[in-house]
Amino acid sequence: MIKLPIYKKKKVNKIKKTDKLKVGFYGITGCAGCLLSVIFNEDEILDLLELIDLKAFPFIKQFNPDEKFDYVFLEGLVATKEDLETLQKLRNNSRYLVSLGACASTGCIPAYRHYTLKENYEHLLFKKKAALQDLEPTPIDTHVSVDYYIPGCPPNKKEIVSFIKSIAIGKHPRPYESPVCVECRKNNNQCLLDLGKPCLGPITAGGCESVCINGGFECWGCRGPTKDMNLELMIKILKQRGFDDKFIQDRMRTFVGLKLPMLENVLKKSRETV
Amino acid sequence: MEKTITLNHITKIEGHAKLALGIKHGKVTKCELSSTEGSRYFEGLVLGRHYNEAHEITSRICGICSCAHVTAAIMAIEDALQYTPTEQTKQLRRLMTLGERIRSHATHLYFLSLPDYLGYESALAMASEYKAELQHALNLIRAGNNMIKVVGARDLHPVSAAVGGWLKLPSQQQIVELKKLLIAVKKDAVKTCKLFFTLSYPKFESKAECFSLVGKNRYAILDGWFTSEKVSFNKQQYRRFLQEYQSSSSTANFVVREGHRYMVGALSRLNNNSGHLSKDAKKMLKLALNDKKLDMKLNSHNPYMNNIAQAIELVHCIDHAIEICNTFEENGIRNEPVDKIRVRAGTGIAAIEVPRGTLWHEYTINDKGIITKANIITPTAQNLLNIQEDIRQFVPNIINKKKEYIIEQIEKLIRSYDPCFSCSAHFLEVKWE
Repeated sequence: MIKLPIYKKKKVNKIKKTDKLKVGFYGITGCAGCLLSVIFNEDEILDLLELIDLKAFPFIKQFNPDEKFDYVFLEGLVATKEDLETLQKLRNNSRYLVSLGACASTGCIPAYRHYTLKENYEHLLFKKKAALQDLEPTPIDTHVSVDYYIPGCPPNKKEIVSFIKSIAIGKHPRPYESPVCVECRKNNNQCLLDLGKPCLGPITAGGCESVCINGGFECWGCRGPTKDMNLELMIKILKQRGFDDKFIQDRMRTFVGLKLPMLENVLKKSRETV
Repeated sequence: MEKTITLNHITKIEGHAKLALGIKHGKVTKCELSSTEGSRYFEGLVLGRHYNEAHEITSRICGICSCAHVTAAIMAIEDALQYTPTEQTKQLRRLMTLGERIRSHATHLYFLSLPDYLGYESALAMASEYKAELQHALNLIRAGNNMIKVVGARDLHPVSAAVGGWLKLPSQQQIVELKKLLIAVKKDAVKTCKLFFTLSYPKFESKAECFSLVGKNRYAILDGWFTSEKVSFNKQQYRRFLQEYQSSSSTANFVVREGHRYMVGALSRLNNNSGHLSKDAKKMLKLALNDKKLDMKLNSHNPYMNNIAQAIELVHCIDHAIEICNTFEENGIRNEPVDKIRVRAGTGIAAIEVPRGTLWHEYTINDKGIITKANIITPTAQNLLNIQEDIRQFVPNIINKKKEYIIEQIEKLIRSYDPCFSCSAHFLEVKWE
């Protein structure tokens, strides 16, 4: 079962205009890029924050009281005990938890560690204080329930704006379910698969405006697999273009490895049918 | 009297860090600044991957300086392949790096630093009274982001940069528009300087050596020797001079220069490169040096002056970027596809100046183009020991003040370094034969 990116439907009472949503933006282990993606909406940010009651944002605020939130946007993945404690506290304190960006949603590149050689980093793991000991790097929905996902590394800045605008008027934002290829076609890009590049656009959820391919760079799948992806066909296409199993496996696992538990079996099957 | 101060979550910095401070009989008995970010082991993650995948992975070390990690990774790999990029490729890399410096400094100065000096808890809380100032910040951030977008196709984690060139080149039209935008935001940079010159900074001298790259004919960006008042060495020698070590209380490595702490960042760059500033940036520097209240000298060892240095760099970066746009306007942009490079085994090093200081990337690749070793040293890792020792040295000056005041001053000191704990945390010890 692929969990991503499924937005759960929940009934909410309509929010009165005078009653602004209490919102918090937090980060656990990550690169701060998703939180910056909120701030870097240079044209909208000041008006946007007028729509909500911003209670906490430790990245740019000194006072961040522990209180009950309507929405918490959380960047980052669980990599330490402290991350997990923060996550659980925020989950308990918030009506809705929004997974902001790829680390929170899929584990992103840090979770690729599950698939690399242990000897690459193992010698480091046991030296630290107990409180700082590593946990297996995992997305937040491994530990708590998540109400909304804003996927992507980094997330699309415009998607964050429209998400906040939607919740401010009591609407439920919906996920983008079509693959990257749909937007890529609209942007008149030449298909990178046709040029022999290993583009993962066909199996990756869009909403990114195909920004990488617009820049000449193939899709690495950071927004996670689409619900109805055809992994077998994707692998076949890549193999036809000369990419081997190791490359395909590494590439697909870089951003969303934990969301593709079936990958090994599908690859095995593809070897048998050849 | 015994006091302990523990700051578990230092706010308004990139990433997560904490400080444990012990004071007894007017003396600092304990001072431990540690990163509490989880480790992500990037140097382990790139092993076994092809060389042209390294920059896409290491970019994720940091959001605000993603261009830096992309550029450093690419340049180190090119060094390993003994490949020299074209002048156009280098100019575009400079343009992207300058854009990043502009948006990063603007974000730090206005969102992380300024509220401390104006007595607000956040920039957002200042919005009603300081709307014009916030607008300067947003204008500068917009300009920086636009520069990165024009060159790299996306403002965070840019995608068009590649080993051997650029996957997509900006159009002449984009460059013309970019130049217009840069000319328009220059006044925001000048106003930023003037605003930060009026703030009052504590008097404090750090005992650190100030290191930065020093270029031959331009203010340091992508090349030059690693230089302080005392020594200068080229990038190939870095492992002889710089040592990394771990502390049991932090997820970040500390870095020392032959056993001594040192400082990197905008202030070090200004100290070492002031002769190469643009004309208008030099004017700003002169204004700062003549300001009696500010009491700034060159070379300055007062870490609070890093704010001033960043403000002056804003003006310089815009001027330098306009200059690059001018050459593109005159000469046009040549259609240069990404070069095909013959794969060979080797080791390559890149040292570049990024918003928070000098960034080091080193990779070894085998004859199939697979990465077998990687080492990354970030600016904050180099500053970390220095920030900690500065706090130890600074606290006795204010030891009789209230706890709240001490905390406020310490946080100001930490923030003036513009540390990025996201960057500093995720590194592992690399054993080199």
